[in-house]
Parts: sequence; structure tokens; C-alpha cells
Amino acid sequence: MRGCRRWQLNEHFDRQYLLNYTNFTTTIVAQAGKGLFVKQPLLSLVNINKFFGDFHVLKDISFDIRQGEFLTLLGPSGCGKTTLLRCIAGLESVHSGDILLNGSSIRGMAPNKRNVNTVFQNYALFPHLNVYDNIAYGPRVKKSMGEGELKGKVADVLELVQMLGYEKRMPHQLSGGQRQRIAIARALINEPAILLLDEPLGALDLKLRKHMQTELSQLQKKTGTTFVYVTHDQEEALNMSDRIVVMDQGVVQQLGSPRDIYNNPVNYFVTTFIGDRNILQVKVVETSETHAQVQFGEHVVTIRNSGQHRIEEGQTAILAVHMDKMRVSCEQTANAFVGEVLSVHYAGSQIRIRIKVGNKSITVVEYQKIDCDCEAGDQVYVTWEDHGATLLPPEDGWAEGEV
Amino acid sequence: MQTLKRNLLAVPILVWLGLLVGIPLVFVFVLSFLSRDSLGTIVFQFTLENWQRVLDPIYLRVFRNSLLLAFLTGLVTIVVGYPVAYITANLEPKKRALSIGLIMLPFWISSLLRTYGWMILLGNAGIVNNILLGLGIIDKPLPMMYKFGTTLVGTAYMLIPFAIVAIFNSVDKLDRSLLEASYDLGANRRQTFFNITLPLTLPGIAGGFTLVFIPALGLFYVSDLLGGGNTIFLGNLINTQVTRGRNRPLAAAFSIAMIIVVLLVISIYGKVAKDDAEGLFL
Repeated sequence: MRGCRRWQLNEHFDRQYLLNYTNFTTTIVAQAGKGLFVKQPLLSLVNINKFFGDFHVLKDISFDIRQGEFLTLLGPSGCGKTTLLRCIAGLESVHSGDILLNGSSIRGMAPNKRNVNTVFQNYALFPHLNVYDNIAYGPRVKKSMGEGELKGKVADVLELVQMLGYEKRMPHQLSGGQRQRIAIARALINEPAILLLDEPLGALDLKLRKHMQTELSQLQKKTGTTFVYVTHDQEEALNMSDRIVVMDQGVVQQLGSPRDIYNNPVNYFVTTFIGDRNILQVKVVETSETHAQVQFGEHVVTIRNSGQHRIEEGQTAILAVHMDKMRVSCEQTANAFVGEVLSVHYAGSQIRIRIKVGNKSITVVEYQKIDCDCEAGDQVYVTWEDHGATLLPPEDGWAEGEV
Repeated sequence: MQTLKRNLLAVPILVWLGLLVGIPLVFVFVLSFLSRDSLGTIVFQFTLENWQRVLDPIYLRVFRNSLLLAFLTGLVTIVVGYPVAYITANLEPKKRALSIGLIMLPFWISSLLRTYGWMILLGNAGIVNNILLGLGIIDKPLPMMYKFGTTLVGTAYMLIPFAIVAIFNSVDKLDRSLLEASYDLGANRRQTFFNITLPLTLPGIAGGFTLVFIPALGLFYVSDLLGGGNTIFLGNLINTQVTRGRNRPLAAAFSIAMIIVVLLVISIYGKVAKDDAEGLFL
């Protein structure tokens, strides 16, 4: 309701504005007015709270979803991402807050009245209906088109998911990947404002999953449909998304582009959840605008400091460096840790090298030929790419023992 | 080797079935072709007379009565039982256990006693008539006993738990995400029920119907007590032929005929339920 009122206020304001100033600044005002609406997000979540009994599943969730984007809700199981998706679909109610679709509230609206469709985790294809009838289900119950038009539409979406010719098959005659495509086609035929996907690739094997990742993002670009995608798989999220919402314990931890999330984590949770990082407790010696000098054992090194965190001289901080952005070198290098190789492990395309630096063991992942052909016991120098390192202030949840 | 072992495992049940089901059935079948003397003693003389009488138009009417009763009983128990089963399956675990317990509770009391209960309820001086008379809604007692409908009510009451449990099982097995998918695709509750829930619980309905239909065909004391013998059903006929009529060969012929009817119904059920036959074998 709050959303409704806000929208009306906007419109009211706009109209008044236009009436008063029409005579002399029509064009300018009209453009300003248009600007107001164009900038409006497709879906706004406003302070969503949700409880299961005493369990606070969603805590004050607020963010916007833009028209045409591929947005991923990423987080460990139990973080509330699927619940949030179900709230958008209308399959769960929210306890407070509002959901605005195109500016008007859809809170409390039944799922069948919302212009959003879901691809369920287990696909939820109707087992007693064949592929054609499954896809035709939505338009038929809504009586939105005649059987003639429907036939063409079903063919269109089947072509989109490359499943033409499968109309007469029953769901149990399809493979996992094929069911997946039919579930997507069944949702897309309704031309939803938003397509919600709940871990749709979870049940597929690794190879098919990789293939479907590419296909899904191509499909999203081709149809221009806004995708909201739930996954616990960071690789999936990083590969496909325009933007990622990282969630943990019912709270949005970070919202940003994959690049942003990967390189500039805002807190300890995101730092440990995204990518594989070496995490060290360091002492801040000196800070400048872009960099900080930190001390780890006997090493003093210079680290990029993005400035988004308050890092103070003389305090302890958390240094997190992507394992795959570190390099091992045999020759002495500036700004490096000196350490002793513990083990070298060849794992297919990557080489994992464990190195003892001070009293800590760190892991370096190399993809290319290593500059330095080292063995266990050798002394090596470890360097890193500047943007691969992140400096964070210590916070709750951080414990030296964990890392 | 594997199949041999598996076949050996089946031996005890085959012996059990053979002794307790197979041999008696053969006895009854043979009996249906034998004669009897005036005192009712079996005479080992082959005759088709019993089977001729089974096909006699008078007795065919008994078949029709019984089939009609069994069919209507199945129908009534499904229509009345479906909502009960559906609601029970959607209850939270504790309430669901309570509901199933209450549905099963009458089984703890002899079915004969429960049939007498209906007589106390529906009789001319019964509870229902007394209340209606007391409230001044009627002047003289409504005659509710000894009718086809009375037998139907009694039989349906006796057998409805079978229907409820069979339907409950299929509703319980229904994948909730299918219902959510239906709502999500734009269907309202009514459309979801008729397009998804009902077709997917059809095996339970067919199973429940079969579980009710078969005993309804053979029950005799309900129609004896509540129907007053005004309409003759197969069960009564067989019962009478064995006891008062002293004509066991004829009773045997009717019994075999009834088994054939039941087999027909089961084969129809098998077609409806296809490979999903769990509904019948709870």
C-alpha cells in the first residue's frame, strides 16, 4: 500500500508541475518528468522482513532490480535467497516491507495475479501432461489466447529453448537438461516481467551445467527478460550475472557487478565466500590514500587500500589475497613474502603450491608454467597482483583460528 | 542363480496362498457343478443346473441390485471421503495423526454393533425421528428404515475409511511444487484442483473405489438389518442359500460368479491406475 501511495504522489506531483509550468517550460519539465519514470526500477524490495516462527529469515532487505538485467541472489544454503525469491513470486508472504513491481505494490497479491514466473528447482513439470500441454498451461488457465495462436507461441518458445519436435513427449521421457528447458519455456510463454529461477542447474551434472550456463545467459540476452537467479554456486553467479546480491543470514552483504564482488569485497563474509583467498592477520604500519603498509611477522609489504574501509595506523587488519592472483618467484623481488615450499600439487590445469610464510601456511594457485620450478623445502618469494589483495578492518565473526 | 533364489523366497507365500486361498477356491468351483439331495447333502453328480439358475432373469436382478449398491457405495464414499482425505493430508503432522486416528476409530467396534447403531438412529422410534418430533418439524415418524437408501447409507458408512485412506495416500504423495507451479502460471485454486490435483490423485480415487466396491458387493448383514430384506443382494442370496435354503452348490455358483465380477472391476482399476497401483495396496 505504501508503494501505491508513493506512486500516486509522484504522479500527482508530476501533473501539478506540468500544469503550473506548461506555458513556458513544457519541454524541459516533460523531460524531467520522463526522467523520473525512466529511472524507476522494474522491481523494488523495500525493507522486507520475513519470519518462520521465531526465525528471522529475511532482515530488512532492500534493493532494486533493473529492467532487462540478469541478477543473481548468491549465498550459502539457509541464507534466505530462495525465500526471497518465493516472496517475489508470491508463494511466501512477507511480514513487513513492500514489493513494488513497476512502481505499484504487489505485496499480498496472489501468485497467479503477479506478472512473474518461476522455474522451480525440481522443474515441477506436470507429470500427467505432455510437453505441449505443460507449456500451454499458463495461457490456457488465463485464457489469454486462442488455441490457434497458442500453437504458434508454443512453437516459438520451444524453438527458443531448442526443443522443437518434443511436443508429444511426457516429462518422464525427458532427460534432466531437457526438462529444464521445458520448465523455462513453460515460464517464458507467459512473457513475465521477471523470470525467477531457483537453482535451476543444481540437479544437472557438471558438464551440462556449464553448457546450460552459457545457454541461459544467451537466452536472457535474446529475450530481454529480466532474470532473477538463485544459486549457491559462485562460479555460476560470476559467469552469468550482470549484478550479484550476496546474502548471508537473511542480510544483503553486498550488491554489485561480478567484478566488483570478486575484487572489492565489502566485508569478511564476502571475502571468504567469494573466491579462494589466503587470509592473514596483519598490523597496519602506515596508510596513504591508495595504499597501506602492513606488517606480517618480519615482512613489511605495501597493499592496495581501496579506501572503502577505515584502516587505521597501528591497528590490526585482515589481509585477504586471491590464491590465483599470487605468483611464486625464485628470485628475490620487492614487496614479497619469503617462505619455504611445503608441497607442490598438480591438479589438472592448475598447480597448487603450499608455502610456509612466518607461522602461517598459504596456498598459491598457478595456471601457467611457473617461473620458478620449485620443490618442497625450497625458499621462494611470493608476490601478488595489486588488485588481488584486499585490506579489511577486523570485525565480528573474524577469528584467527578460522584461517 | 539370482532368479532361483528369488523364486525360492516366494515358496512360503505360494504355499500359504495355495492352502488358504487356492484349494478352497477349487472346492467352491467344483461344488458349483454338483447336485444335492432334498436334505441338502452334496451328491457327486455333475450338473449345470446351478449355473443355469445363476443366469436366470430373477437372479440377474439380484446381480443388478448388488452392482448398483456397490457402485453407488463407491461413488458416495469417494465424494464424501475426498474432502476428508484432502484436508487431512494438508494438516500439520499432529492434527493429521489425530484425524487419521478418528477415521480409524470405528474399526475398533464390531461392525455388526455399528449397524445396530444405525437402527437406533434411523428407526421409527429412533433418535432422529424423536428429535424431529420433539422440535415439531414432523407430526409422525419419517419411515427411514428398510429401504435401498438405508442399506446404501449403512454400507457407505461401513466402508468409507478404505476410500479415505486410499485417497489420503495419493494426496499426500502429491508434489506440492506442482501446485505452486500451477498458481505461478496463473491458475486459481479451482483450476489448480481440477487440472492438477484431481488428475494426479485419480489412482487414489480408483484404488479407494475398488477397495469399497468389492466388499460392498458381498456385505450381507447391513442389508439384512437396515434393508430388512426388501431388496435382495448377492450377499444375502448366498447367505440364504447356504443356511436356510440348504443349497450349497447354488451358493457356490453365485460365489464364483461374484468373483468373476470382482475380477472384472479389478482389471478396470488396473487400466485406470496403470503402473501406479500403490493406491490399492496400502
